[in-house]
Amino acid sequence: MRWLRSISNRLRNLFRKDVVERETDQELRFHLERQIALHAAAGISPEEARRAALLEFGGVEQFKEECREARGVNRIESLLADVRYGFRSLRKSPGFAIVSVLTLALGIGANTAIFSMVNALLLHPYNFRDLDSLARVWEDRGIDEGYDARYIAPADADDLRSSNGIFEGLTTYRFQSFGLGTEGDVQPILGCTVSANFFDVLAVTPAAGRLFSAAEEQTGADQVAILSYGSWQRRFGGDPQLLGETISLNGRVYTVVGIMPKDFDYPVPVELWVPLALTPAEKVDRTQLSLNALARLKSGVSVSQASAVLASFSHRLEQEYPKTNAGRATTLLQLRKELYMFTLPLFLLLQAAAGFVLLLACANLANLVFARMIGRQREIALRAALGASRSRLGQLFLSETLLYSTTAGVVAIAASFASVRALRTSIPVGWTKWVPGWDGIRIDSSDLAFTILAAGGVGLFLGLATMLHTSRVEPNKTLKETGTGTVTRAKRRVRSALVVAQVMIALILLVCAGQTIQGFVRLANVYQGFQPASVLKIEISLPEKVYADNVKITNFYQQLLRGTTSLPGVQHASLVTNPPASNVDNETTFFSIEGQPALKASETPSADLQIASPDFFDTLRISSVAGRTFSDADNADAARVAVINRGMAMRFWPKGNALGHRIKLGAADSTEPWLTIVGVVGDVRQNWWNPVTRPVIYKPFVQSPQRSMTLLLRTTSNPTSYASGVRDIVRQMDPGIALRGVNTLEEEIADSIAIVRIMGILMGIFGLVALALSSIGVYGVLSESVAQRTHEIGIRLALGANPRDLMKLILGQALKLTAIGLAIAVPCAVAISWTMASMIFGVVTVDFAILAGFTALLLLVALGAGYLPARRAIGVDPVVSLRYE
Amino acid sequence: MSKPTDLVQGTLDLLILKTIALEPMHGWAIAQRIRQVSKDVLQVNQGALYPALHRLEQQGWIEAEWGESENNRRAKYYSLTKSGKKYLQSEQANWERLAAAIGLVLKTA
Repeated sequence: MRWLRSISNRLRNLFRKDVVERETDQELRFHLERQIALHAAAGISPEEARRAALLEFGGVEQFKEECREARGVNRIESLLADVRYGFRSLRKSPGFAIVSVLTLALGIGANTAIFSMVNALLLHPYNFRDLDSLARVWEDRGIDEGYDARYIAPADADDLRSSNGIFEGLTTYRFQSFGLGTEGDVQPILGCTVSANFFDVLAVTPAAGRLFSAAEEQTGADQVAILSYGSWQRRFGGDPQLLGETISLNGRVYTVVGIMPKDFDYPVPVELWVPLALTPAEKVDRTQLSLNALARLKSGVSVSQASAVLASFSHRLEQEYPKTNAGRATTLLQLRKELYMFTLPLFLLLQAAAGFVLLLACANLANLVFARMIGRQREIALRAALGASRSRLGQLFLSETLLYSTTAGVVAIAASFASVRALRTSIPVGWTKWVPGWDGIRIDSSDLAFTILAAGGVGLFLGLATMLHTSRVEPNKTLKETGTGTVTRAKRRVRSALVVAQVMIALILLVCAGQTIQGFVRLANVYQGFQPASVLKIEISLPEKVYADNVKITNFYQQLLRGTTSLPGVQHASLVTNPPASNVDNETTFFSIEGQPALKASETPSADLQIASPDFFDTLRISSVAGRTFSDADNADAARVAVINRGMAMRFWPKGNALGHRIKLGAADSTEPWLTIVGVVGDVRQNWWNPVTRPVIYKPFVQSPQRSMTLLLRTTSNPTSYASGVRDIVRQMDPGIALRGVNTLEEEIADSIAIVRIMGILMGIFGLVALALSSIGVYGVLSESVAQRTHEIGIRLALGANPRDLMKLILGQALKLTAIGLAIAVPCAVAISWTMASMIFGVVTVDFAILAGFTALLLLVALGAGYLPARRAIGVDPVVSLRYE
Repeated sequence: MSKPTDLVQGTLDLLILKTIALEPMHGWAIAQRIRQVSKDVLQVNQGALYPALHRLEQQGWIEAEWGESENNRRAKYYSLTKSGKKYLQSEQANWERLAAAIGLVLKTA
């Protein structure tokens, strides 16, 4: 209440100033009249009474001023005056205003944009209730890499669900491709089969209809589906009558029981969810890690506590089922963290880089403001002489710098809407599904709060710096001086320190940016060992019902290959399970080498498994290192063969004698057939995060047919033009089969590293901005310090100094500052590079050439920044420069 | 007669608050009342009274209203606000404690 009254008083004082002033006059007059009347009543003359009353009262005008002060009018009035003054001086030097506001806006805007990205991707990737208690759970066999290899065996998941006290709920799911619709019009869609408690664990409710019941996890009862909002809109036109209707999936009839809300798209944007009905055999299976698992921790259970419980759980399973579970560690990772395991350091790097850009902008602006302060020394001295207190001067500076920074903040916010939109649309729509939260990148209230905080902080910082910088004004001395005022040694040192700091930050930023960009360029070229140009990629999935046995599958694909090879312009047609740049890890498998039994289960070697048709290696032009590749003779009846990659050959047969050895998938005593190694081919990187020399075993397609394969065509011209031909062939063979993921391999590669490329571009922009800002800063300070020495240079020249020596003197000063900055920055940059290299999965490597290059570049910039003003000063006729004041 | 005692720094506020606690008063009356009640010992500097009144009003301890004076003139009457009353109580208690403590020291030391 009290503060309310106080505010209303203050407002009245401010806006009804004349009324309040009149009232004060009246009040004081009333007092004097009463006092005069009092004295007059005692019998003295009216004049005497008046004199006595005034004497008793004291200086009327002085007390009026004190009253104003007491009402707090002066403080606000002077603040307004300062802001007005700030605006006026900004208008008077628009160049300075524009440069400083833009510099700051750039710095603040960069931070806002990156923060909005970090905010959306890292802080709020999903809007699930209590996101931090959700975690992915999987069994780590010690051989898997990447997030596509996080699976759990169904029986183990069941044990985990029923036996521990750490989870509120644990749910399992796996992806499945469906053909939606009936014969003649089958659309390929991606769905997810989920256990009944899937949505409960995520704590989401359907927008319409219901969730799955536990009874629907049984085969036979499982023909119900929940649609995604997008699918409902796109495929069914948002039909409100759809609930209870049936749809055809893979030739089976499903009833639509629910529709999820618009923003729900876990695990990735799928079209629908159906119950996960495991067969009795699958339910008790511990060999195949076939399910994804997601759990919600009980409240109060920390991640480390849960990890400890899981460790003892895996240990128990290991003892109970040594045959299947030896060497498996049940692992848990928070959902929030899982997504960005690889990219988290990159985001942090970007945020740090943006912070550095802001620091540079601040240093630059501080320099500009200080330079202006020197020009304003006389004004400030005059203010001080007229009685302005230090805090009053401080208020003046603060209101000026806050004016810059708020204007810059407004510009930054305006610009960030555009830049965030550009960011959001910068990766292909189809790929945003790999980046949960990406579509949510926007400027929201927390970004605005961030910007306002940043702008306010910068203004405050600059104002305080200016205050400290001008704290010791000696009005007497300054006012007596003529001309442009002088710079004390201490002040020059402050500005030199700023140059040093700018050079330092710039070098660190440039080196980090350079190395990151170099890393990204390398990434863009990681897909070596094959030639992606002119290759068309099409995914095909055969429905289980129709293609129940291997003969049918083989026949279909053989016919498809024959048909597509005969298309004019197709050089090679082949099949493979997982083409490069698919953003999906290869299936990994244990294997045994004949005659080299593994001593312990944990020492069993592992490799990626690929299944390929004979022409695969020719289609991608993967080189043959030794032996042969597959041929049509490697059919179902022939001896089982395998081709391995160079990395595998080097690791297990370092003497180069891999050919002829026999390997078996799984343990040596399993029923799998022995595979004879008939060839060694070159290494191919699967995805940008996979190491290139990871062992790969290729098996011929005909000897182990799969329903889902990717068709690759090497063509002579524009590969996309062949898609319709392939579609015709497939339709003739089986109209119920849909083609998915039709794309050229080159585009697949470009898309798969899109997010990484954007980060590279952002780093590049930051690096360029850093270079520009620091160049301007160094040039500004040096040219000014030279300009101040024009007089001195004139005297030196008049006295016969050699211009070359003078030039050396000035350049020496420039180089000295830069060299100090570089000397500090180089070890810092090296240290930061090492840290980055260890954090960012081999994208960044420490590169001394880049370090040396940028060091030289900054030295050159400093030389230029010193040379130009020096030449100007020396070129001036001494007579003129001596008059220069 | 000795010179009237100068007001101890910061006590003017307390005196004003206490004086207007009974009834709303204008500035001149406040000065007169303080003088009378203290039997001419406390001499309020008349001009300095007004900045103090305006400050207290700004701080919300007192509020002002224009009214008719004894001699039918318009005068600004000050009265305590609710929070002003509480503030006066706590300040008065503080002052009494302080005065007692000083008295103790002067007597015993």
